[in-house]
Amino acid sequence: MPEGLSRRSFIKLAATASAAAAIPGCEPAARKLIPYVVPDENVTPGMPTYYATTCAECSAGCGVIATVREGRVTTLAGNPADPVGAGAICARGQAALQGLYNPDRLTAPMLRGDGGKLAKISWDEATKLMNDHLAAAAKAGQNRVAFVGAPQGPTFEKITRAFVAAYGSDRAIFYQALETEAARSSAHNVFGTRDLPIYKIDQAETLISFGADFLETGPSPVELARQYAAFRAPKTRRGQLTIGRSFYVGPRMSMTAAKCDDWISAAPGAEAQIAWSVLHVLVAQRWIAQNSGLDLGALTTMVSAYEPGAVGQRTGVAADMINAMATAFGKADGAVAIASGGDESLHMAAYILNAATGNIGRTTLFLEGAGPEPASTPSDVNTALTAMRDGKIDVAVVHGANPVFTMPSAMRAAESLQRAGFVVWMGTVPDETANMANLLLPAHHPLEAWRDTAPRPGVRGLGQPVMQPVIQSRAAADIMLSAAAKTSAKLPWGTAADAIKTEWAALAPQGSDAAAQVEFWTRARREGGLYSQAKSAAVKLSTTGLKTPPPGDGTSSGLTFVTYPHIFLYDGSGADKPWLQEIPDPVSQIVWDSWAEIHPTTAAKLGIAKDDLIELRTEHGVIEAPALLSAYVHPDAILVPLGQGHRSYGRYANDVGANPWQLLGGASMHLAVTAKATGRSRKLVSPLGKSEMMGRSIVEAMSLGELRHGGEPEEPAAPGPYEMYPAFPYPNHKWGMTIDVNACTGCSACVAACYAENNLPFVGKNRVDDGSIMSWIRIERYYPEDKEHAPNLYLAPMLCQQCNHAPCEPVCPVFASYHTEEGLNGQVYNRCVGTRYCENNCPYKVRRFNWFLPEWPAPLELQLNPEVTVRGAGVMEKCTFCIQRIQHAEIDARNADRALKDGEIVTACQGACPTRAITFGDMNDPQSAVMQRRDQNKPRNYRALAELNTQPAIVYLRDLYREKGKA
Amino acid sequence: MAAAVPEPTTPTFREIDRSVIRVMDFPGTAYWIWIAFCFSLVGIGAALWTRQIYEGLGVTGLRQPVMWAIYITNFVFWVGIAHSGTLISAILFLFRTRWRTAVYRAAETMTLFAVATAGLFPMIHLGRVWFLYWLLPYPNERFLQPNFRSPLVWDAFAVSTYLTISALFLFMGLIPDVANAREQSTGWRKTFYSILSLGWQGTDRQWHHFSMAYLLMAGLATPLVISVHSVVSWDFAMAQLPGWHSTIFAPYFVAGAIFSGVAMVMTLLIPMRKWLKIEDLITPWHIDNLAKIVLLTSLVVSYSYATESFMVWYSGDKIEQMTFHMRYFGQWGWIFWVMILCNCVIPLLLFSPRIRVNMTILWIISIFVNIGMWFERFDIVAGSLATSFNPSQWHFYTPSITEIMITVGSFAWFLGLFSLFAKFVPIVSMTELKEGIEFLRQAVKKGSSTEA
Repeated sequence: MPEGLSRRSFIKLAATASAAAAIPGCEPAARKLIPYVVPDENVTPGMPTYYATTCAECSAGCGVIATVREGRVTTLAGNPADPVGAGAICARGQAALQGLYNPDRLTAPMLRGDGGKLAKISWDEATKLMNDHLAAAAKAGQNRVAFVGAPQGPTFEKITRAFVAAYGSDRAIFYQALETEAARSSAHNVFGTRDLPIYKIDQAETLISFGADFLETGPSPVELARQYAAFRAPKTRRGQLTIGRSFYVGPRMSMTAAKCDDWISAAPGAEAQIAWSVLHVLVAQRWIAQNSGLDLGALTTMVSAYEPGAVGQRTGVAADMINAMATAFGKADGAVAIASGGDESLHMAAYILNAATGNIGRTTLFLEGAGPEPASTPSDVNTALTAMRDGKIDVAVVHGANPVFTMPSAMRAAESLQRAGFVVWMGTVPDETANMANLLLPAHHPLEAWRDTAPRPGVRGLGQPVMQPVIQSRAAADIMLSAAAKTSAKLPWGTAADAIKTEWAALAPQGSDAAAQVEFWTRARREGGLYSQAKSAAVKLSTTGLKTPPPGDGTSSGLTFVTYPHIFLYDGSGADKPWLQEIPDPVSQIVWDSWAEIHPTTAAKLGIAKDDLIELRTEHGVIEAPALLSAYVHPDAILVPLGQGHRSYGRYANDVGANPWQLLGGASMHLAVTAKATGRSRKLVSPLGKSEMMGRSIVEAMSLGELRHGGEPEEPAAPGPYEMYPAFPYPNHKWGMTIDVNACTGCSACVAACYAENNLPFVGKNRVDDGSIMSWIRIERYYPEDKEHAPNLYLAPMLCQQCNHAPCEPVCPVFASYHTEEGLNGQVYNRCVGTRYCENNCPYKVRRFNWFLPEWPAPLELQLNPEVTVRGAGVMEKCTFCIQRIQHAEIDARNADRALKDGEIVTACQGACPTRAITFGDMNDPQSAVMQRRDQNKPRNYRALAELNTQPAIVYLRDLYREKGKA
Repeated sequence: MAAAVPEPTTPTFREIDRSVIRVMDFPGTAYWIWIAFCFSLVGIGAALWTRQIYEGLGVTGLRQPVMWAIYITNFVFWVGIAHSGTLISAILFLFRTRWRTAVYRAAETMTLFAVATAGLFPMIHLGRVWFLYWLLPYPNERFLQPNFRSPLVWDAFAVSTYLTISALFLFMGLIPDVANAREQSTGWRKTFYSILSLGWQGTDRQWHHFSMAYLLMAGLATPLVISVHSVVSWDFAMAQLPGWHSTIFAPYFVAGAIFSGVAMVMTLLIPMRKWLKIEDLITPWHIDNLAKIVLLTSLVVSYSYATESFMVWYSGDKIEQMTFHMRYFGQWGWIFWVMILCNCVIPLLLFSPRIRVNMTILWIISIFVNIGMWFERFDIVAGSLATSFNPSQWHFYTPSITEIMITVGSFAWFLGLFSLFAKFVPIVSMTELKEGIEFLRQAVKKGSSTEA
């Protein structure tokens, strides 16, 4: 013992040290979360805690519930109280965790010195430097400080505006890579409001999507997928069993197009003419609602150039198809047309279509009480960038957006930032924009910060931090507030938490006393927001500002480049998350790369073969991407999804694929391109083998006609003599699943949920190519072999079928694979010796072998679910219907001395599913939801590869399709 | 037909002893270089296996869904090779086939080392080899036992039984010969042979017991010839995989095993009799008889291929038909046609008596048969897995350097052990050769090379 340290003081010190160690993290602002020294009465070590917050991954603003174990969030699930997500969540939302625990997050403030080298500095130095620069800028004059960032909720916007105002500036730019300007300005011209309409697809009978991939990306994929599933569910209309009639007009068979009845292959840019042509038929047939308020005379002149025959000739789309669309739309009991892209004439046509058929207020809603637009207009963005280039900005603060990567190259974002005096970047993983910054500050991930959202009237989401900061970061709002506090400006709040509390206090019911205020605040935090029913706003229709597409445009004017947001990587912000890179794109099934989708005939003309690197050159730039030959694209289009092509965005995004933003000039996502083979090639990696089912019963579909005739009865299980062993008794439960293939969109939220819940490792591009992908559940994508009698694509989740006669079980020499007494095909990881015979004998091929020891670079391992073993090398693993959740619920029920309730156990895939395609429950209980769903859909029941007599516990409900040319 | 067989010399008892014991003289430099070469390859294989254990099976070319490939191919191949030894020593012994006497020791030795080689592969192939013993029913406090419904457990029993019996059979047959060698050696060799000969004195009583025990052992070993490869075939046939799930597999595998095993005996004996200068003991007459077995089993194997294909067509099972279509004409179709060429076409040359005594051509044919049978197993194991029920999971397999070098190492391991053994124990049975010598003489005189 050193001198001067008595035994007594040593023990004192040791006690303090261990007490300090018991506090997770050390950031004072969030200390209230889980004070383990004096635990909350509802916090039990080993038991998860749940926090309601909101998802910040896209503008839809779904509510989420974070499962927090021992102070770290391990899963994100949907918040059932929130009307947007309604308890479901998409893959991107779940992968927010890998943004939070990303190993490439900036860990300390960095200053760029001479020669561009970054050097670590302390927070004190960093804030002082920032304050000095800001003060100098304020002194230099008005508007010399700018904020550039993504829209991050109303309170954040207020904080930001207060921040720039403290330095005499009003340049707060909220920049959204995938802007909605065309939709807003069109709405303004047609309806006199710049608000975006809210769609109620489930209220419609007919849907036309003009290039809008609402099941994948915008505007609110979880909500619209849920509505679309309801729209497509069989229901009786006019005395006949039917499903929603849907059309997709666009250059590519997207996932949304695949789930529609008809994919109408249109050249990029031709959608508007087709939309106007549909309108032409409506007007000509007078399928116009009485009270639509439409100026029919004006409209008649406007649509005159779009007679279906003429448009058909110009666009190559059959006039019959246009007529069929118009008929289905005009005669429907509720119809909705959704458009996307930068073409105002297309948006206007879609709006008029909805208005003409009297669907405003029914399928297409404008709500009262819409707040200010979350994003700045393109012209504001441009003004700010120009100011930067002109040297009029001394300090630019960037947070939450990556303009250098996502701005079309024509906007010269990098150059603008370079000319700004001093650029402060606040964020998580340093990106291309951070490369332009002088000072880099580690900011909280949205899951660590106080936020709020206002995705639409009636929905206010409260984003509360769900855990202590993973690293020594600070909330961006706090950085700005503490800087502004040094100025003479009067700020209404000290911290972001304060700001949220103050702002939300104003939302409390009028005249609430202090107790009611507390109650309101508690409820908001518990439910994750404030939800109410917003009233539909009346809009006034005007035909004066309508724009029509130039007739003749959209015809084959040569090769056109088209880009679109990737379902997982979106505008590029998802690329740093390995789950999103590794989950195959549902339609192309490609992982960890960009691809240039091209029609085989076009490819042949250009001399391009599969996997050849194509050089794509537009007037704005040039990129290279490997060719993906697909019959499901328009011959005039070459399509490359957005998202990849990062050069500085962490280890998972860097040098993967190409960045199509570089080819764009503005809001339009398509433009003329020259394509040529480079003579080099790069293999596109996919875990998919063959795309044809070859007559096997894996994903099944039936036509509406068959459904109306009662379908084919399920083949009975093999009779008694085939049973060599006595049947399993299943005295308590027999777990089973019902999966509605008709409802499944292929969105892969279930796949992401499985990765998160069951600690599935990601393996990277090369190992996916080596056949080592670890997903226990995957989306089977098959091309129909008989296109007339099939859906556009077969899409369905494939996971362990938990067979009653499981081929995997008897072949295991050591009982690692065994039948549980609740009917699961259990897998004892500790017992597995790795003969891999089980996977050989599995007809579904749903078992996964650990070829290597899985790795999670720190701190990604913090996401691991402690309820599930992490498997080592040499072990076979598989889906067990989330046996840990089953156990959890069973133990809870036993402790409470009650029977397990139906619906109490929710598997991870089921919980995530936006369309509720998956139902799980006890097959022993005929009243359970899982059995009821089967029984109510008897004609659609099938089991995958049933002829093998494996007797799966999963019953699929057949996909439904309309035979081509039938109503 | 027998006219083509040159008249074998008819050595005296002393000549037999001399020839055989001479083989066991201290070997020359060339031999040691050969042994060093073999064991360096074994060393490379062992190093790669070590790395595989350390890093995981990802270092192999195995992938979803081809979970078994070269390792299991090698296992089946070597178990197959092991078959002819017991066939020649036990079954032909029971049938009193005279020509076996000169070749059976070499065949038995081959059997032992082939099983020893085969036995390595289930271990090499295992994900967690350190838990190998879990496949055996050993007493443990958790009362965990292996799953007796799993063909892999049957396999563990079948192969270990076969290894035990073939080792016992070999070493028992060796007793009179090593006793003979003991008498003519000095130093550590004398000690070594004394231990192996178990105190053999050559008394009538010992001869009586030896003959009876040998007969019983042969009787015990005989069913194993059939059962072991049947069990190995069930590793596949018990699965429901198209291309595996077939009732023909047991007899088909046994025929294939004898086919490849006898071919391997020829591959080994033809150079060996020349290098070890025992051409007067192992005569073309012996080799001619082996060639006839190869011819017969080749026809059986060809018939099996035809039956298997016919059944696939006749069953009307679309999925199985597709698997076979892929096997014949798919990406790996060439493997199938190489196999047909090696196993069904080339052995037809053996109908010619002149070819049956042309050692060079015979040796080349035997090599082709070995290649063909290896490819047959590879096609069944990996080819069927690549194209199973779910087309979205179809993927082909390319072996990695690890698997190739471990396979090469296994051949080196086998040949090295065989070479070592051949130099240290009598590789031709002096005892039985002497017993048969009178018959041999008469047989040659009568001009008959066949044995009823």
